[in-house]
Amino acid sequence: MNSRKAIFDGIRAALSPLQERTSYPDYSAVIAEPQWLAGEADPKALFEKRLMTVGGRYFAAAAACARWLKADGATLLYLAPELAHLEPVFAADLPVTREYSRGLVDQIDAAVTLASGAIAESGTIVLSDAETPNRLAALAPWRHVAAIPSDKLFRTISDAIAALPADPNVIWITGPSKTADVEGILIQGVHGPGQQGAFFV
Amino acid sequence: MARQLIDTFAARLDKGVQKAVHDNSAAGTDKRYSVLGSDYGDPNPLRALAGAIKQHTIEHLDTYLEQAESRLTANGASVHFAATKEDACRATFEILKAAKATKVVKSKSMISEEIHLNDYLAANGVSAVETDLGEYIIQIDHDHPSHIVKPVLHKNRRDIARSFEREGLGEYNDDPETITRRARAYLRKQYLAADAAITGANFISAESGRMVLVTNEGNSRFCLAGTRVHIALVGIEKLVPRDRDLGVMLNLLGRSATGQQLTVYTEFISGPAPAEQPSGPREMHVIFVDNGRVETLASDCREILRCIRCGACMNVCPVYRQASGHAYRSVYPGPLGAVLSPNLAGKDFAKLADLPKASSLCGACNEVCPVDIPIPDLLLKLRHRAKEEHIPSPGTPPMGGFALLASSPSLWRAAMVAGAALDVVPKGAIPVPAMQDWLRTRTLPKWRGGRFRAWFRNHKKQS
Amino acid sequence: MTSTTPRATGRHVQLMATCLCDAFFDDVAIATVEVLEHLGCTVEFPENQTCCGQPAFNSGDWPASRRVIRHALETFPGEVPVIVPSGSCAAMLFHGAPMEFADQPESARVGALATRVWELSDFVVNSLGVTSWGGRLDARVAFHRSCHTRGTCTGPAVLELLRSIEGLEVLPFGEAEQCCGFGGTFSVAFPHVSSSMGRLKLDHILEAKPDYVVSADMSCLMHLGGLAEKEGRPVQYRHIAQILRDAIRHS
Repeated sequence: MNSRKAIFDGIRAALSPLQERTSYPDYSAVIAEPQWLAGEADPKALFEKRLMTVGGRYFAAAAACARWLKADGATLLYLAPELAHLEPVFAADLPVTREYSRGLVDQIDAAVTLASGAIAESGTIVLSDAETPNRLAALAPWRHVAAIPSDKLFRTISDAIAALPADPNVIWITGPSKTADVEGILIQGVHGPGQQGAFFV
Repeated sequence: MARQLIDTFAARLDKGVQKAVHDNSAAGTDKRYSVLGSDYGDPNPLRALAGAIKQHTIEHLDTYLEQAESRLTANGASVHFAATKEDACRATFEILKAAKATKVVKSKSMISEEIHLNDYLAANGVSAVETDLGEYIIQIDHDHPSHIVKPVLHKNRRDIARSFEREGLGEYNDDPETITRRARAYLRKQYLAADAAITGANFISAESGRMVLVTNEGNSRFCLAGTRVHIALVGIEKLVPRDRDLGVMLNLLGRSATGQQLTVYTEFISGPAPAEQPSGPREMHVIFVDNGRVETLASDCREILRCIRCGACMNVCPVYRQASGHAYRSVYPGPLGAVLSPNLAGKDFAKLADLPKASSLCGACNEVCPVDIPIPDLLLKLRHRAKEEHIPSPGTPPMGGFALLASSPSLWRAAMVAGAALDVVPKGAIPVPAMQDWLRTRTLPKWRGGRFRAWFRNHKKQS
Repeated sequence: MTSTTPRATGRHVQLMATCLCDAFFDDVAIATVEVLEHLGCTVEFPENQTCCGQPAFNSGDWPASRRVIRHALETFPGEVPVIVPSGSCAAMLFHGAPMEFADQPESARVGALATRVWELSDFVVNSLGVTSWGGRLDARVAFHRSCHTRGTCTGPAVLELLRSIEGLEVLPFGEAEQCCGFGGTFSVAFPHVSSSMGRLKLDHILEAKPDYVVSADMSCLMHLGGLAEKEGRPVQYRHIAQILRDAIRHS
């Protein structure tokens, strides 16, 4: 018998004897908000604080980011085409390319791409295919910094979910990539960036 | 004399491994407790809500599965169904064959372990590399994960360093940072050379068809940035009705698993990447797998299907902490495994019927479960089922005689008096296995049968 | 039982002493009677009582367990509260028994009995309303909150009573929420794991240097006490009823 039919027939047979069924609960998304959120009046300040808590770096502006990249030893920066207007800011401090290809994965050790938004509650950067079509470019380099449109800062995780666009891929990034697989010791920078930063535009 | 397998396993477990398992698990429990306390004060209303959402979902699973299928298809994904392990392996292989994919990178998928996918693919000429660091180590060691979130908590850095050296990743070096960097360098070559990526899925929202994948390492993201075909193996129960429910689940998942508000990468995948995009799979396939879940849904243990795979139950379980994950002889260890594994085993139930017995029914697992699964009740139901099926249980005293004694007051009162013999006869001579087992490590208090009754009668007379 | 479950009230009560107290711990049952009478209760002890049926229930032999419960239904007739000096036995009667009788003809009677059952400390604090215990006991106490009282009002009730006794100090100790390893037949079917869990608990408790280990369940204390004695590091253990009785005896 075809698997789909077997599965659906099986599910219906399994559920038919149930006398009562649990109904979909009525709830407000507020129940999932942490109790300390109410006391946080400034979303940008909250985002900065939470970003730092998860090991990310906050920059007041693109220029500060550029200076840090240079100081941190970045040698080749990929700047997303959507941020072309920022090239002069970054080119002052290090070599910039607007081409990302697989061949350059090992050379490009920093990337600045346009984010789709951010979440203040968790210090999360939101990327989507629409604004960051090159997924690899934001993921593979050792350092990634997101340029976040100021009007796309969501206060809560629930707000960000409600605003999920019809995009094949949206990713929330909360700090640099990490693992604790070796003896429970936290190491940053596994497959994704070891340095994750953000600034508002 | 026959002994319970899990007890024997625990007794033979290397003390260093047991300590690592205990300490790591306790740390996870503490982090969970701490973050839920500071973020919610009392997290129980949120847990109850998540439990209700999941229970509602599984009790209407046909509706939501159909809805998910329809949305995913509309989004450009291909939806497949697999009733058995073999169906799931075959379906995966057919997709790979059609896409001419021979090199696969895998993000963590417990279902792929259930169906023994890697072996099947290897036998059919497809190489599959695990990309989660822990799962990669398991793979090169031909080992099995001992925890659903922290697969190599039973290994130390020296074990891992030796494995990496043996695998050709460089000279012996047991510095955790070096190990991690080496894995990063090696695995990214695999991602970029791979044709296809196989992942699991944490949730699928039936409302939108959005699939959620969470990791800390970024390996699933890399799989989906580097390859051209994405296959997701998803248990039929991994659904939630609406996008907003993802908010509830995600707020609980990271906190329950590792004490994190969110894992580093939370990916929402609606469909394949557009053709004009520089990276991302052009093909997306979702294989909904049964492999015993429908049978579990039909059973009196269906609540276990609420599970969102956080691992909090095994972190807190005192038996898991003593025995470690491998003691459970199945893909899922700990309290989750003690219920799910015998249920998924189908006609092989008897082989895993001892798992539900490896519990003092302390209830800590239910207390930490983000979806409020009544695990101790499910363990009791499974014990009942094992008894009904006459599956032998070593070390458990038979209860027929006890029931007779306890439903016959005169026999009981006589036994209360007769029990005084216990204090006179050498205890080692008493042919009651349960008593011998007790006395090996514990003393028994003095027998006082009949004394309270005599006191009470006298007490009543005097008042 | 949570604080919101409606249950039988009143000062005329029936005592279920439990099979462990019947066999090994007569003083705990005596102390229970003395505590209840001190609070103005009239205590009945139905002599035909035996056991709550939990050992058979936990081992999966529900038909055997049901036999015992059916006997309990006959032994504790009426509507008055049934007081049990054991969180474990109380939980069997208000949770386990309804579970195994879900599709049995006696299900309504079992449900009715469930609404009459109180663990002792829960009854003292939440039914009789006693939140401060008179008397005095100079002692350092480690309180072991037995697992079957998880989610019930017993743990908080015991703590409230202990903390209100003059001279008594409740000591914190590590991993207090972890199970002691008794688990009924688990203690003999899984002897290694059970003893290891017990030893871990003892290590934590003994580090706090208590005078007594106190619990609402003699089963846990019998296991921990027996383990400690066998290992040559004996502990003094007391049921909460004995502590309460001893505190008022001294004054």
